[in-house]
Amino acid sequence: MSKPDITLAVADPTIESAPASESPPRAPRPVNGTLIAGLGLVALFAGWALAVRFLDVPSYILPSPAAVWKALWSGLAVSPSDPLGYYLPLWGTLKNAAIGLAAGGGLGLLLGSLMAESRTIEKLLMPYAFALQSLPKVAIAPLVVIWFGFGDGSKIAIAGLLSFFPILINSFTGLRSVDPEKIDLMRSLSASRFETYRIVKLPNAAPYIFAGLDMAVVYALLGTIVAEFLGAQQGMGVVITQAQAVTDVAGVFAALVILGAFGILLHGIVRGLEQRVVHWGNRGRK
Amino acid sequence: MRATQMAPVTGLRPVAPTLIQIRNLKKTYAAGRVQALSNINLDIADGEFVCVVGPSGCGKSTLLRILAGLDDYDSGQVMLGTKTVSGPSRDVGVVFQQANLLPWLTVRENVALPLRVGGGRPDGADDVDRLLEVAGLKDFGGRYPYELSGGMQQRAGICRALVRNPRILLMDEPFGALDALTRERMNLELQRIWQSTGKTVMLITHSISEAIFLADRVIVMSARPGRVLRELTVDIPRPRSNDTIISHPDYPALAKEIRALLTGQGEE
Repeated sequence: MSKPDITLAVADPTIESAPASESPPRAPRPVNGTLIAGLGLVALFAGWALAVRFLDVPSYILPSPAAVWKALWSGLAVSPSDPLGYYLPLWGTLKNAAIGLAAGGGLGLLLGSLMAESRTIEKLLMPYAFALQSLPKVAIAPLVVIWFGFGDGSKIAIAGLLSFFPILINSFTGLRSVDPEKIDLMRSLSASRFETYRIVKLPNAAPYIFAGLDMAVVYALLGTIVAEFLGAQQGMGVVITQAQAVTDVAGVFAALVILGAFGILLHGIVRGLEQRVVHWGNRGRK
Repeated sequence: MRATQMAPVTGLRPVAPTLIQIRNLKKTYAAGRVQALSNINLDIADGEFVCVVGPSGCGKSTLLRILAGLDDYDSGQVMLGTKTVSGPSRDVGVVFQQANLLPWLTVRENVALPLRVGGGRPDGADDVDRLLEVAGLKDFGGRYPYELSGGMQQRAGICRALVRNPRILLMDEPFGALDALTRERMNLELQRIWQSTGKTVMLITHSISEAIFLADRVIVMSARPGRVLRELTVDIPRPRSNDTIISHPDYPALAKEIRALLTGQGEE
């Protein structure tokens, strides 16, 4: 159950693991991780700016950091209702991704629960779940647009489709991974099936479900933007395709910065939520 | 609780009716290929404290699970009072190996769990806070299990088993995971709780000293297929203490006999 680590995009993981791997006889100096990551970021931007200036990279291939910043600022420093700003498209994208996530995640949790509770339902549905997962779901997107049109429906449907599977399989795995002694406890108390589900199995599955949610949040955003590429009135996908149509590469980069920032933000929200809900962490396991 | 209030305070056997009656009990696993229990016959009196010892895999836990209604059996008769055991019963509280608390519930919520599942609060349920106080956990009700030591966790597990006020307490190696000193203290606590509540207790253990310390009667089981090898009455007056028990004249002979029965298993 690996979680996609979004922070990988900005911080090289080898920087963090380096002090642990070397074991010199002298006491290792404490390493300031934030400082190193900050310095890395500064070096990245400096290298980028210098490369653009001195290697004569055309701006339609790689715009300078200053040009990206200018595009970013022109989208941010406007009234929230300005159709040329980022606020309306971002709101539209996030709203559809959130609705798709809620629908796909909710359905995933429901079917995952039914499959965990019943071997018959598991045998019935698991082949389809894996068939669906094996399919590159983005390839279904044009079909979904035919079915649901160019409005919000197709965005929500694809976001839901992509976020469905990680929640389904993680909730199924988590619900099945209960310590048998805890099930014995509930049986010895003559607890009903639903009581056992609610009091023992669901909390036990919570860390798994959060790991799935962490993936699903990113997938929902991805699905919405892919659907927007295929045709939409509004959204960050539209911002990107419009900038691309006029070779405004700096505009594309700026939109990507916004999406990257929101990816990190949403990941942080899920992790924060997990730490609040799953406060016992792994300490309940033996 | 009627006559059970008259918990035995001396070595006198209580003149109490049989509460648990096991006749010709047989149990097999793996579609009859592995025989777990062969012809168990055992009576346990109301208010009695019985310890079961036996080699690993002899079916002690299976016997306890059958009494708890968690496992079924092939043939024979298992009665609690006048009722045949056919599933979990409100008359039985189970204490598991390693406290088996739910890590997402506070200590108080864990102890109160039996009151909110399986069909509402039963009559005569014990007060959660009073039980926590008896177990020395009064100030820990709002804590989570991972904040407690192993001994405290198991005390909470015992409170949980007692909260429905069952007549029978079944304990499956409850202190096996604890260090020796904590274990001695827990034995003392358990004796105190048993004497103040008058429950009927069946406790499974690997420890000969624990069995003699706690039991009115020690049941020694054979290696698989499990059967009752011998029943030894422990006539050492109560309350027993960890210091005085080993100096009691009966202790060495009892310990020696149980050890001989257990170590003699290999040659059979």
